Amino acid sequence: MTPLIFTLKIKPQFSLDVSELTPDKLAKKNKTQIKSLKLNYGKKKVPVTDLFTITGNDSENVQILRSCDKLVCVGQGISHGTIEVKGNVGDLVGQHMKGGHITVNGNAGSWVGNGMSGGRIDITGNVEHHVGAGKPGDAFGMTEGFINIKGSAGDRVGDRMRRGIITIHGKAGDFCGSRMHAGTILVLDKAGRNVGTGMRRGTIILSKQPKHIVATFKSNGNLKMQFLRLLFTQFVAMGKEFTKFKNFDPEVHRFSGDLARNGKGEILILQTLNLKK
Amino acid sequence: MLIKLSGGTVYDPVHGINGEQRDIYIRDGQITRRPAATVDIDKTYDLKGKVIMAGAIDMHTHIGGGKVNIARMMLPEDHRQDLVSRTPLTRSGCGHAAPSTLTAGYRYVEMGYTACFEPAMLPANARQAHMEMADTPIVDKGAYAMLGSDDFFLRMLAAKKDQEAIADYVGWIINATQALAIKVVNPGGISAFKFNQRKLDLDEKNEYYGTTPRDIIKCLAQAVNELGVPHPLHVHGCNLGVPGNVQTTLDTINSVEGLPLHLTHTQFHSYGTEGDRQFSSGAAEIAEAVNANPNISIDVGQVLFGQTVTASGDTMRQYAGHWHAHPKKWVLMDIECDAGCGVVPFKYRDKNFVNALQWAIGLELFLLVNDPWRIFLTTDHPNGAPFTSYPHLIRLLMDRSFRNDMLSTINKDAAASSVLGSIDREYSLYDIAIMTRAAPARSLGLKNRGHLGSGSIADITVYNNVKNREKMFEKPLYVFKDGELVAKNGKIVKVTTGGTHVLKPEYDKSIERSLKSYFDKYQTIKLGNFKIDDDEIVEHGNGHIIVQPCT
Repeated sequence: MTPLIFTLKIKPQFSLDVSELTPDKLAKKNKTQIKSLKLNYGKKKVPVTDLFTITGNDSENVQILRSCDKLVCVGQGISHGTIEVKGNVGDLVGQHMKGGHITVNGNAGSWVGNGMSGGRIDITGNVEHHVGAGKPGDAFGMTEGFINIKGSAGDRVGDRMRRGIITIHGKAGDFCGSRMHAGTILVLDKAGRNVGTGMRRGTIILSKQPKHIVATFKSNGNLKMQFLRLLFTQFVAMGKEFTKFKNFDPEVHRFSGDLARNGKGEILILQTLNLKK
Repeated sequence: MLIKLSGGTVYDPVHGINGEQRDIYIRDGQITRRPAATVDIDKTYDLKGKVIMAGAIDMHTHIGGGKVNIARMMLPEDHRQDLVSRTPLTRSGCGHAAPSTLTAGYRYVEMGYTACFEPAMLPANARQAHMEMADTPIVDKGAYAMLGSDDFFLRMLAAKKDQEAIADYVGWIINATQALAIKVVNPGGISAFKFNQRKLDLDEKNEYYGTTPRDIIKCLAQAVNELGVPHPLHVHGCNLGVPGNVQTTLDTINSVEGLPLHLTHTQFHSYGTEGDRQFSSGAAEIAEAVNANPNISIDVGQVLFGQTVTASGDTMRQYAGHWHAHPKKWVLMDIECDAGCGVVPFKYRDKNFVNALQWAIGLELFLLVNDPWRIFLTTDHPNGAPFTSYPHLIRLLMDRSFRNDMLSTINKDAAASSVLGSIDREYSLYDIAIMTRAAPARSLGLKNRGHLGSGSIADITVYNNVKNREKMFEKPLYVFKDGELVAKNGKIVKVTTGGTHVLKPEYDKSIERSLKSYFDKYQTIKLGNFKIDDDEIVEHGNGHIIVQPCT
């Protein structure tokens, strides 16, 4: 069994919806059935063979090669299996995913993990806005799962997220963790303005003191929070990039808020983590 | 240009034509008599074996006005899931339960409808409603002005002003808002809600004004009758959705003492309290009363299963229903202290006892009311179901075995407590032509619509005669609007603009004197700005006005 590989052979001009190319939807399909699939390309439906060359046979492990930022809805709604993408991707990676593992070796667009309820997304490059957020009209953002971004993220990371973990190894934009219901966000470089605005519960962990904290957050002083040891032990098990968290001192400066909602959220600013770039 | 529709099977209930093979001639947008043999025919459509009816008319569908817009804004997910691409002819749009104006117009025409009427236009919101309807392409439009909970009217009623003055006010409202009829929603209940009353029976007094819904219905029905408005008072009665409201509905029928009355979405007003769950069908009693009272007409407001959104002016009952919102969000609004609206998204489930019984009650009403001239096919779009489900509903009415198959899939207790399974009646194509064309046109006073006689406007729908009636009514072969072919095989082939049906009843203009001082004192806009000019509707070539005569 070799992974099912889709290699993009055109240079897309319009957005190309690849939500059909997931382990869930390709399972139990033979090669001819897969070849007869049609994808939404711009306003048209185009046969998958016109867009990709297909090799391999293991639908549980899907690979998309030579991808570009016109590919949208990668891994939409998957519940098992893995998807690996080489190259950049567009918006809505892992939208509504329930399980499984998506890896993007490149940059991604907005709405990564929109409404996801399980599974893991790894992105090696940068992402745009609304990581793990909920679309307008949705009650919540992500409700479970793990999003790991090795680059930087845009604005509104984890907007209205309900549960789950988002880790950003680079910078985060403005309004990081805005309107959070619960969950955990970790930012290992600078975060932008208005961190945690309107958050109800949940934890935002920053490694650097932001320039600006919203007035409705209250400083609780420096604390040693032992639960962070447990949390970071878990992180260390999640991947190599977290090894710097081994045996670290859990001293943080804690802010509680947003007091305009009900103040049960917290922003923790790590005091002693020696970050090696 | 002379067009001949040759050899089709014609259903034209106004002229008593029941499935006869006839030729129809169209000249300059109107149906004409057979021309002399020497006259050249420009285009002939060979329609042997096809079914020809007048363009369908939906007389109760929420397609414009404030609440529909709120529903659109509140449900982006409804729009995301149902996208319509632009074509060379039509513009893009979206929306399943609350489609955009353009999409609504296209979908109506693709289904063979050529006119639809917005039943709840608040006078304060009339301009917005007309703008939205102007944006609804191809179909003819019209709206019913909503009275009954507005302060000026309730003050008049409380002060026991004479009936003539009230009729003048009603006439003024119809003129000022470019309406076609008058609707009353939960008579006085929207006002009572603001005085913290959470229920209002037919004989319960409004705490502030001291008026009862019975007074309001009686007074307005009389005013509408005196003004010569062809469509009787359009009543959304008290206690919508409350188990046991069948008695309220029967009392409402009796309250007008023989005056014409139209009861709308009656399905929601036909609930009894029998059985273990204190919820049962009252359709038989309502149907009996409708059969016995020739002054009463009803439309059903059929519930069909799936996700939709309920948008109603009935603030009181929408507030009571907001606990059942799916997805969990809702809006309740006051509008200029004169009325209100509530928008609650809702999902009707076939395995839910109450929803399944609602579905059965609607069908029971359809099948137990004998006279198709007095019962109209509606789902109260989007409250019972989106209008796109009409073909499915028609199949349920025309195909008994299909109906019984569906009945066997719904909640078992609900199916057992309904008499639907024992009803053998099946609607014929002639009955469908009555209830979707001839009867609404007659009820609304549209003289040259809803039939295929000479001189009538050439709004014509041609169907393939398919055994599966859902397929048949989903995609008509041809749809003509004002004599132009606008849709073919369920696809738009030409986009035109429809007109707006209005009424210009006579009234004593001196009512404006008291209205002016009232507006200056209480309203947010001046009297002059409140009135909608003809030019505003005709503006930018987006429509024209069709004045219907009073009786």
